[in-house]
Amino acid sequence: MDKKKVKNIFTEGPVEAAFIADSIAKHATKTSIGGHSIFLGQVRADMVDGKQVEAIEYTSHVEMALETMSAIREDIFAKYALTCMHVHHSLGIIKAGEICLFVFTSSKHRKDAIDACTACVERIKAELPVWGKEIFEGEGYQWKINN
Amino acid sequence: MIEVMFFGQFKDATGVSSIMVEEVANTDMLIQMMKKRYPALESSTYMIAVNNAMVTENTIIRHGSKVAFMPPFSGG
Repeated sequence: MDKKKVKNIFTEGPVEAAFIADSIAKHATKTSIGGHSIFLGQVRADMVDGKQVEAIEYTSHVEMALETMSAIREDIFAKYALTCMHVHHSLGIIKAGEICLFVFTSSKHRKDAIDACTACVERIKAELPVWGKEIFEGEGYQWKINN
Repeated sequence: MIEVMFFGQFKDATGVSSIMVEEVANTDMLIQMMKKRYPALESSTYMIAVNNAMVTENTIIRHGSKVAFMPPFSGG
């Protein structure tokens, strides 16, 4: 659409713990950073009318979501003194207990990293065209509603 | 032609992820057309994006545009 670089944030399947650990390790060379903040979204095994959620299947309007995420990224970098920010959102089937969202912000001082991380997660939930279908154990499903 | 895309529960309701339709002047006319074709959309809360940009008012649809019918977002 425009000259902004659009980064991919989507991964098929869950965000693995090893991937998260590796992301943290990669920042060891960035020694101007004094604080990191990490948000991990995990699929919950909710009970709905006696049925348990066993997984969430995520789908997205990918092209629009990536453009929206670029705009959010730009806003967040304008508002907070961040060194870097990384966002990974899962697509496809993510089982209860697995990680579906990983937001990682780093800054010189903790407050920017913490506040930027919170702001980013809130905006992802409100603005990204992503949908979660909660799949029940056995059979059936319902569409997830964000609070 | 215009590409009309359905996401989330709208993909369930319409049974398709996208359809091609003849030129339609604006989003109000397209919404009426889609509600007629897919009555399930009638009672739903939806958001419309034209070429990846959300629209809240009646918007002109240009040739070759992509229009998305989207239920409330539930990512994360």
